[in-house]
Amino acid sequence: MADKMDVDAVNGEREEETVGPASDLPPERIIINNFDLIRQAVDAFDSRFILRALRSISTLRKSDKFAEAIVQGVRTAFPKPSMGARKVLEDVLPDNVTAMQNGTSAPSAEDKKKDASAEEQQLPEIWAYLGILVQVYLYDTQQFQEGADFSTNFVEKIRSWNRRTLDQIGAKAYFYYALFHETLDPKPPSKQSPVIEVRPKLLAALRSAVLRKDNDTQAAVTVLLLRNYISTADITQADLLVAQTQFPTAATNNQVCRYLYYLGRIRAIQLAYTEAHDHLESATRKSPTTGPAIGFYSQSMKLQIVVELLMGDIPERSVFRQPALEAALYPYFKLVQAVRVGDLQAFLRCVTNNEGQFRKDGTYTLILRLRQNVIKTGVRMLSLSYSRISLRDICTRLHISSEESAEYITAKAIRDGVIEATLDHQNGHMVTNPQRDAYSTTEPSEAFHARIEALLGLRDECVMAMRYPMNKHRQELSEAAKARERERELAKEIVEGEGDDGDGDEGGFEGM
Amino acid sequence: MVALTSAAGLVGFLSEPDSTLQAFALERLNNDIDSVWTEVSGSIGQIEALYEDQSFSHRELAALVVSKVYYQLQEYNLSMEFALNAGKHFNIEEGGEYEQTILTKCVDTYIALCALMNPSTPMSKDRRTSNEFDYKQNADGPANNATASMSSPITPFSQAALPSKSLLSRDNDNEWEPSAPGGGNAGVPGAHPHPLTLSTHVQKSLKTVVRSLFESCYREGAYRQVVGIAVEARNMEILREAILRASQDDKSKGKKAPVASVSQTEDLMDYVLDICMNVVQERGLRSKILELILELLNDIPSPDYFAIARCVVYLDQHTMASNMLKQLIQKGDGRSLAIAYQLSFDLYENGTQEFLQKVMEELPETEDSEKTVLPPASGPDSEAGRAAAAAEAAARENDGEQTANEEETSAESDQLLSELQDSAGQTSTIVAERTKPKPKSEDEKKAVTSVKTIMRGTKSIELNLEFLYRSSKSDKAILNKIRDSLEARNSIFHTSVTFANAFMYAGTTIDTFFRDNLEWLGKAVNWSKFTATAALGVIHRGNLGQGQKLLEPYLPKPHEQTGSSYSQGGSLYALGLIYTNHGTHVLDYLRRSFKNTSEEVVQHGGALGIGVAGMATGNEEIYEELKTVLYSDSAINGEAVGLSMGLVMLGTGNVKALEDMIQYAHDTQHEKIVRGLAMGMALIMYARQEAADELINGLLDDADPALRYGGILTVALAYCGSGSNKAVRKLLHVAVSDVSDDVRRIAVMSLGLVLFRKPGSVPRMVELLSESYNPHVRYGATMALGIACAGTGLDEAIDLLEPMMKDSVDFVRQGALISLAMIMVQQNEAMNPKVPAIRKQLQKMIGDRHEDAMAKFGCALALGIIDAGGRNCTIGLQTQTGNLNMEAIVGMAVFTQYWYWFPLTHFLSLTFTPTHITGVDGDLEVPSFKYHSNTRPSMFDYPPEQEVKTEEAPEKVKTAVLSTTAKAKRRKAAKERTERGESMEVEPTPTTPKPDGADADADKMDEDSNVVDTAKEGEEKADGESAASASTKKKIEKEKVGFELENMSRVLPGQIRHISFPGEGRYQPVKKPTGGPILLFDTTPDEPKSLLELKAKKRTAPPGPTAGNTIGASAAAGAGNNNGSGDGAGARAAAGVLTAVDEDVEGGEEAPVPDAFDVEDDEEMEE
Repeated sequence: MADKMDVDAVNGEREEETVGPASDLPPERIIINNFDLIRQAVDAFDSRFILRALRSISTLRKSDKFAEAIVQGVRTAFPKPSMGARKVLEDVLPDNVTAMQNGTSAPSAEDKKKDASAEEQQLPEIWAYLGILVQVYLYDTQQFQEGADFSTNFVEKIRSWNRRTLDQIGAKAYFYYALFHETLDPKPPSKQSPVIEVRPKLLAALRSAVLRKDNDTQAAVTVLLLRNYISTADITQADLLVAQTQFPTAATNNQVCRYLYYLGRIRAIQLAYTEAHDHLESATRKSPTTGPAIGFYSQSMKLQIVVELLMGDIPERSVFRQPALEAALYPYFKLVQAVRVGDLQAFLRCVTNNEGQFRKDGTYTLILRLRQNVIKTGVRMLSLSYSRISLRDICTRLHISSEESAEYITAKAIRDGVIEATLDHQNGHMVTNPQRDAYSTTEPSEAFHARIEALLGLRDECVMAMRYPMNKHRQELSEAAKARERERELAKEIVEGEGDDGDGDEGGFEGM
Repeated sequence: MVALTSAAGLVGFLSEPDSTLQAFALERLNNDIDSVWTEVSGSIGQIEALYEDQSFSHRELAALVVSKVYYQLQEYNLSMEFALNAGKHFNIEEGGEYEQTILTKCVDTYIALCALMNPSTPMSKDRRTSNEFDYKQNADGPANNATASMSSPITPFSQAALPSKSLLSRDNDNEWEPSAPGGGNAGVPGAHPHPLTLSTHVQKSLKTVVRSLFESCYREGAYRQVVGIAVEARNMEILREAILRASQDDKSKGKKAPVASVSQTEDLMDYVLDICMNVVQERGLRSKILELILELLNDIPSPDYFAIARCVVYLDQHTMASNMLKQLIQKGDGRSLAIAYQLSFDLYENGTQEFLQKVMEELPETEDSEKTVLPPASGPDSEAGRAAAAAEAAARENDGEQTANEEETSAESDQLLSELQDSAGQTSTIVAERTKPKPKSEDEKKAVTSVKTIMRGTKSIELNLEFLYRSSKSDKAILNKIRDSLEARNSIFHTSVTFANAFMYAGTTIDTFFRDNLEWLGKAVNWSKFTATAALGVIHRGNLGQGQKLLEPYLPKPHEQTGSSYSQGGSLYALGLIYTNHGTHVLDYLRRSFKNTSEEVVQHGGALGIGVAGMATGNEEIYEELKTVLYSDSAINGEAVGLSMGLVMLGTGNVKALEDMIQYAHDTQHEKIVRGLAMGMALIMYARQEAADELINGLLDDADPALRYGGILTVALAYCGSGSNKAVRKLLHVAVSDVSDDVRRIAVMSLGLVLFRKPGSVPRMVELLSESYNPHVRYGATMALGIACAGTGLDEAIDLLEPMMKDSVDFVRQGALISLAMIMVQQNEAMNPKVPAIRKQLQKMIGDRHEDAMAKFGCALALGIIDAGGRNCTIGLQTQTGNLNMEAIVGMAVFTQYWYWFPLTHFLSLTFTPTHITGVDGDLEVPSFKYHSNTRPSMFDYPPEQEVKTEEAPEKVKTAVLSTTAKAKRRKAAKERTERGESMEVEPTPTTPKPDGADADADKMDEDSNVVDTAKEGEEKADGESAASASTKKKIEKEKVGFELENMSRVLPGQIRHISFPGEGRYQPVKKPTGGPILLFDTTPDEPKSLLELKAKKRTAPPGPTAGNTIGASAAAGAGNNNGSGDGAGARAAAGVLTAVDEDVEGGEEAPVPDAFDVEDDEEMEE
């Protein structure tokens, strides 16, 4: 499951590729530039600048001088080596990097006092930002234990500052906090995993976030909690959490995607396939389909395919043709093929062949549930092809051992509404009811309605996501004022010109 | 203990029959509830059942668990309820998020609960109004019913007892008024559990919790928080307790504390007063708090007299005020006397004439000379008061004055009350007061006389006048420039120069401009003559000593019908302006003149004069006289009379007057009269807040836009400075929905009056309105900004107004200019870098030939306002102590009416408040000493003089001429060519020197231009040098912060907090420095003092008459002429002829012009 988290991690930073600052800048430069962005954000109370600063992380982490850049950033923000904040950050960075630039002597007590006041002046947002960078660095260098320790203190500190401008950074910090603990041994499915220890902290964070109306952290922590519960298969608790908390409507798109994904997962395990499908569909639709976030997309796509199969539907062929997903989805493609034709043998073969992959994807248990569906699909195929078929033929077609079990299966399928047929027990036949015209029912209009609703929802979301620049109309007004001014000036000139002309005429007359 | 991963097992325990198991489960759950609440929430019913099970030993623990689960579920109300039931388990000392949240909720609920227990009651006074009114309604009911149909605007009055359903009704206050009792969302359905649905047990524990919260606040000395909660909860008990505890606290540890530092109690008192006056919006609650404060203040051994004075004035407790003064005078030592005097100054500043009159009456008699000048008008007033006190019921029947004037009755009942107290033997001083003994010693007598002098305002006015005269820094060059750029023959321009002059020299008694520009003055015709004469009143405003003498030549003579009626009317108006709000000396004269004339213009001026001088006297006799004239149904008089009635009855809420006025407003055909009456009605309801709601509703429902206009004005004046949300809502609603432009305009404008205490909020509010397509709304927005932000130099307001100076509509430009000037009054470059640019812009506009007349008018006004009162006045709608400055508010409100009637512009001078600090010693003399201003001198300096620039201007015109002359030269050359008959084909020979005039001319011109250039260069150089030297000087100054100021110097409002009195100096102020007169305590009274020479007094004595004489001479000459020529002519015709004769001292050719404008003016009058 660890890789899925990676998917998530990448998902969070999907935007940098496209929007991030020019990557040709040296990493320390980017970090220092970001300080300005953060300051701006705090001054203007506008979270967008913070987001922009956070976006550059993926560019930064790819740089081979990441650690040096962080150290330099830390030193710019906290120039005195005695500063507590600096020490905390540098402690976890590799010694060779920190020693490289560390040449100052031990500070006197007076300096320390001064430093403390200077430190106070430095924005907590900047410190927190550097903290995030350290977290990323630790994660990239696989120092999970250090990372976990660092993060625990780090989130505690962030929570103690009740600042709304810290929300975005805080959300991110919690994310890494959870991530580190997940990677520690023993890994999640085990009940001894450190994941469980994290729970109370996350719950407390959730409560604080709710009380402080801190949407970003609330969304992030809710998602993390769900993930946490699911990782240890505490589906009931996850479900209760979902039932008893509200997911903030103002959460970012990424968090909404994740939330929907986990929700879909919970519902799928709870056999509520329709609901699960809805959630997963929204999750896949909302999630970006290109760039580094493709991992999340493929993950939710896999789950969606399985859920769709469980619902008795066959996914579109085009799903498997997406170039980025073709390889990843190949086992599922095989699976779908088996289910589509209702070929139980092929299905079992596919499952055994790809068991490792399915387990990794966390879909194995769900796929095992598909067996019934394969049979049902088979029955359905038969009922579509034949208006009447004997149970024996069904046995041979679907590789079922006995006529009795074939009868049971068909009966179940009829009862579940998979097929419209009756069983002729006496003669051992299944008789398919003649197909009704779909257009005589409300089905098409319902389908239309569903589509319209989805589109309207999409539109509403787009409208709500739009931002208008403040006081844009002022510019127009001032332009209008300028135009008026010009007009007036023109009028003045005309008046004066007329006067002159008049004079000229007079002169002319005088001359005559 | 390892954290629980699942609570399923524990939850299972809960359903076990064994109570120990259940208790164990609860214990565990309580510890880990934060991580397992999701699982517990399903079985919350079970735990609740445990809590309700009386036999269960751990039921309180169960309550706590339930509470915590509800808290997690964000059901904070339920959570609070259960937490309160958890008894000792719920520990507020634990500072966790849960506890904090619950505590907040507790406080909210407590506030809501208390607010419910003490519902907002209208002030007793208001209630009396309605009762009284009902009574009246019965008394002359038939008469009313005969005239008033259901749609009559009077009907709303009669429903005073019924709850009204409009926006302005009091009942639904809570729903949307955030500052309403109960705070944020108290009273919003659903926001709280209805406090009364809480069980008594919960309520009790709620109180315990809040109680313990208060206790912890007391421990930490956080009294303000407690006070805040108490005020919001309308809980006087808590408030009292908090203040008492604070003072006890002070006492217990105050012994060691340095005396200089402000004690905690005083600090707290200040805070309460501040909240009370600025935050609490409801009058009833406010009076209740003030009463409490008053009571407490009296209990404190060394009371803060100034705080008491504020309360006393607000509560209209004149007995209290006079008692306080008497006590202080009886003490007799220097400091007490100083406090008494300072108190009198404060009372004068904040109280109405009526209030002061009553206070003075209650002071011991002195047979001083001033007694004789007391107006006879007040005599019957007080007599009637006493009569009514004796036989109240009977008096009510007969004496309309007593029943109608509810201020009076409230005063009566106060007296009655105090009499009762007397009999109980509580206060002996009041007994003394009733018998009015002669003061015992000479000293006391002297003190009483001084106090009376101060309270009559004579002293304040004298000091103001002295200050304004002494330090007038008016720039005559600006005025001359205005005069030169505006053609005097056009009456609007003439008037605007008059206004600019009047404002610049307001209150300085410097009327040299008129004397220097007799020729210009002579061009005044008809109403511009009226205005010009009235301008003298503005200039000499407050010149109580010489006022009447000064105007002598213009005033109407009782026996001879001479002089222009316009100047006569104007002079009466001027007289009123001189004695603004201080009419004791002249009211009689004004009334006589008003009664004795049948001349409309004179009556007009007389009415205005009476109104201004007799402001808020509530004098019924004057009112009746005005009414008689009103009923003559003349448009010219009606407007002024309606306004005047309102001014006389200002703020009394006199129902009878209102009825009369509303009735007549419906009967008359003249729009002017309706407008005057509407304004008058608004004035009557000045600052009456809720009491005016019925009238407002009545007027706003009227079909006549002029009456709706009045309704809006009533909102503005009744709620002036209150910042009341409901008023603002109403105004905003009307501003965008009314069909009449006038009503919309005034609605926007009124926002300024309602919100002037919070100037910062106005720019945001009118931002969109200032971009309205409707120019009237835009104009209103400019004025709203000007009114609310006057004198603040607020950047946001200026940012909004600056583009509006270039608006496409002329009157919007006018409004923007006036407002900018009002905002920037007294600002210099150091305070606001935009000032010089704006000043420059103003000067440019006034000289611009293509500017519209309206905008130029505004521009002239703006130039006057920005240098108001010799640059020594600011525009302040509140007094230094933060009370409403009645005079200024009224002045501002009436000023806005200049839109319809130019002469009303003079009312703006009422808002001009001199900005100075003047120390006055125990003998009410002004000693010479210095105080310290801890700022850079440049920070609050006068703006630089404009001389240089104005001199430059004409030369610039000359250089501008050059281009045209060059053209002319070319044309001339061409002409010559044609003259010489040269055909066009022939090549012109420009090289040929032509020694004729044209070239010589051109050469000269060139030379000229050279000269000008060099001159300019020189000037520029000089400019640069002076600038450089100025800057170096500035630099030097910048280095030292703080400088000394001579007594009676200009101190801007923003500067006051930097002012300090030298600690070891001879004179010590009796209170923190505020603007205006400050009583000084002389530490060494025996040493000889050096006094400041009072220049104005000395100076005006001789030149006053001469000023009158010079103009008077011409007027007298004119009068002489008139005597001869206009003997037998009819009154109206004569007026015209007289004016014309008066005008044409210089020459006859100008005669037709005035006629033309005469007609225009008449039209204006009759419209």
